[in-house]
Amino acid sequence: MQKMKKLVILLMLSILNLAISQNKIFPFKINKVVLENGLTVLSVPFDSPGIIAYYTVVRAGSRNEVEPGKSGFAHFFEHMMFRGTDKYPEQVYNDILKRLGADSNAFTTADWTAYHIVASSDALETIIDIESDRFMNLKYTVEQFKTEAGAILGEYNKSASSPFLSIYEKLQDLAFTTHTYKHTTIGFLKDILDMPNQYDYSLQFFDRYYRPENCAIVVVGDFDQNKLIELVKKYYGSWKRGGYKPDIPVEPPQTEEKVGHIAWKGKTLPYLAIAYHVPEFSTKNIERASIDFISELLFSKTAPLYQKLVIEKQWVDFIQGEAPDRRDPFLFVILARIKRNDLIDSVKNEIFNAIEELKTKPVSKERLEQVKSYLKYSFAMSLDNPNSVAYIVGHYFQLTGDPESVNELYSLYEKVTPQDIMRAVQKYFTKENRTIVTLTEEEK
Amino acid sequence: MKKIVLLMLLAVMISSAKNSEIRIKELYSPNYPIITFRVMIETGSINDPKGKEGLNALTILMLAQGGTKELTYKEIQEKLYPWAARINYQFDKEVSVIIGEVHRDHLEKFYKIFSDLILNPRFDEQDFKRNKDLLLNYIKATIRSGNDEELGKQALVWFIYENHPYNSPEFGTVQGLNNITLEDVKNFYKKHFTQGNIVFGIAGGYPKKLIQKIKRDFAKLPPGKPEQVKLPEPEKINGLEFLLIEKETRSTAISFGFPISINRSHKDFYSLMIANSYFGEHRTFNGILMQKIRGQRGLNYGDYSYIEHFVQDGGSTFPVPNIPRRQQYFSVWIRPVENKNRHFVLRQAIRELEILVKKGLSKEDFESTREFLLNYSKLWVQTLNRRLGYMMDSDWYGIEYFIDKIQKELPKLTVDDVNNAIRKYLNFENIKIVAVTKDAKSYMDDLISNKPSPITYVSPVAQSILDEDKIIQEYKLNAKPESFKIIPVDEVFEK
Repeated sequence: MQKMKKLVILLMLSILNLAISQNKIFPFKINKVVLENGLTVLSVPFDSPGIIAYYTVVRAGSRNEVEPGKSGFAHFFEHMMFRGTDKYPEQVYNDILKRLGADSNAFTTADWTAYHIVASSDALETIIDIESDRFMNLKYTVEQFKTEAGAILGEYNKSASSPFLSIYEKLQDLAFTTHTYKHTTIGFLKDILDMPNQYDYSLQFFDRYYRPENCAIVVVGDFDQNKLIELVKKYYGSWKRGGYKPDIPVEPPQTEEKVGHIAWKGKTLPYLAIAYHVPEFSTKNIERASIDFISELLFSKTAPLYQKLVIEKQWVDFIQGEAPDRRDPFLFVILARIKRNDLIDSVKNEIFNAIEELKTKPVSKERLEQVKSYLKYSFAMSLDNPNSVAYIVGHYFQLTGDPESVNELYSLYEKVTPQDIMRAVQKYFTKENRTIVTLTEEEK
Repeated sequence: MKKIVLLMLLAVMISSAKNSEIRIKELYSPNYPIITFRVMIETGSINDPKGKEGLNALTILMLAQGGTKELTYKEIQEKLYPWAARINYQFDKEVSVIIGEVHRDHLEKFYKIFSDLILNPRFDEQDFKRNKDLLLNYIKATIRSGNDEELGKQALVWFIYENHPYNSPEFGTVQGLNNITLEDVKNFYKKHFTQGNIVFGIAGGYPKKLIQKIKRDFAKLPPGKPEQVKLPEPEKINGLEFLLIEKETRSTAISFGFPISINRSHKDFYSLMIANSYFGEHRTFNGILMQKIRGQRGLNYGDYSYIEHFVQDGGSTFPVPNIPRRQQYFSVWIRPVENKNRHFVLRQAIRELEILVKKGLSKEDFESTREFLLNYSKLWVQTLNRRLGYMMDSDWYGIEYFIDKIQKELPKLTVDDVNNAIRKYLNFENIKIVAVTKDAKSYMDDLISNKPSPITYVSPVAQSILDEDKIIQEYKLNAKPESFKIIPVDEVFEK
């Protein structure tokens, strides 16, 4: 393949000609084929000559960790997926990827796990071969399993020097009583320490969720659609359907304000986190779409609250607030780093005041249009390489089972009115629906 | 045929207008709707006056996160918001960059604001206070308190370049920043923002007439170029030198390294590139360090090595462009390990370096690593923005486009070239080592004593690994009491 050495990476020269005002925010055609075993194949031709992005999307994350003592397992399992099969043992798998010069990794979130590769287009069949093989025939020993548990602890430790992990742990633990969103994706430390003893459970986790009807393959870039489908059928065709349906407990409504505090060992500026329960991702629920606007109205760089706290009074050096897209009802999380301990209450009050104002004073038409414009352009500017496009397709697929939901969401944004926003703030941003966590330096 | 036509559209050129010294780097791609500006100023922390460390960083922030003569910072934010346009910045030792990105629907208005930020900055007192706080909090809260790995890596550079212009951190020091006045910023701007000191990079589907406008507009800056700071050789390292940062932390973050005398412009760099990729390619499982420390032993999350300063670009695996340096350093990054394994892991990593230096690569490892890099390096430039950055860096180093140069240089190499370069530029005896850890004194005592540091496993591992562990746990490190400095975390980047 000497000629491939000459492969010239010409970047996205023509397709990205986005017409921002068109109906569909996602400007590319998404091909969707579902195999007989239930595996969804999503593909998007994209002008990245000689390059493809290849995602395997598994609709399982820390949300699926329903049994007590098993938090962090979806993420742990992501690590085990790199431990090889009989056909391609770990080292062989790595050597193949190395020869391809592929950029390969994986990540786990609360709702999904993704295995992603960016490589040259002529590696397509090799990638399909090695990826299908590990999803169907993964095999690892107890010893390999226990060794990897050490790497997970290492990953926990690397994050533990940051206050953010502690804040999210406390916030989710307090805000949720029942739902698995009670723990973060990396899991409770006590469960991580017990991971080496959970080999059997790991096999069960694989058996439950790594099944074709629970997964999608996403291919974006320079490829031949007919060839892709032919290869996917050839390599993934014998993957057996599963039938497991997790019983994820429903979180009851919160009825009173919850408050927590973390005394941080070592120097730190104080942090303030405030969270409100909000509905799950939806392309139909206008309240949920309105909540994405609230994030902009309160915390974008042009928001009066942001301007006041960061630019004018300079009480905080950063503040943000948003509700991530989740399959089940999660939280709108506000997080601020404050410059002095004695300002924590003042910052808190300013945030509450801004929220109260949104409940009574409708946002101007002009401001609403600015937010809509921002959401559209911000999305358009993210579509600048095959990997980002594949991520977006995977993200919306895992949420709803249909990547077209991205277009539905942005259509719904168009319909949001000042009254919708007021109603959403009134309904969800209440005292009894909120949890507050502060973190300050431990007093000695 | 299609490819040839596309290539012709991708016209790349450097143009210089009459009466304007401004260099413009173009990456024209007519149908690409996102326009990127990368304005590179040849000023970095090496230009910080003594006692005012952080002046370059603060000046860059006052432009990228400040106002113009016409518009306040707040008004600019309001203008940019509906376009979702972005203005970012980077500052490093030798150069700084102000980066703008906008959809072409708003190009003209955006360019006016972006260019005004650089040509007609507001230098507002309130913006000054906010930006100074941002840098101070970056030191005090973000790295000292919240990110042991970053702290270790930054402190290594600080330690390697003692008594050298690279010593001053690119984000400044606490005392340095506290000493800076707004007047200092204005003077620094006047001195360094000159026509000859700036390269204006632009990529995307912009109208060609914009280039003439940029030349005209930037010709308003004073002509000329300040003299470049001379760089002496970094100080020689004598044996193993330790900087232990005492901190209440549940694990130990380690970085170590030493200066190397070559950069991208030297042919041996490409040999070292292969050696480094084999030893510790960033965020992959290819490297020996990663395979042996994490893969076989599960001691931490990752272990990598570098032959030039490396800053990861967001969540990707690739480095940010536009941090070129005349002098580079070799480094190893050991991600946090349990404190009980900190002695073992340092022995293991330095022993692996010794094996690399003494034995080099096998022909097979050489071939497979070269093949990897030939393919992988093409992925470093997946967006026009990144490609433009790499093009500008290539000019800075005075080489052809780096990605093309890799394609040219690597196939010419032999395994002997690589192994000779390893012996010439790498070593395992004279190294500076930084560890962020708890009870630093006991770590020092352990290291000096060279007492065995066995590790335990929760499950059986292969006999070959246990056999190797026996060698590692006794591996002698030449750690002398006089080669240790222990400092509390509060003193790092204080002055």
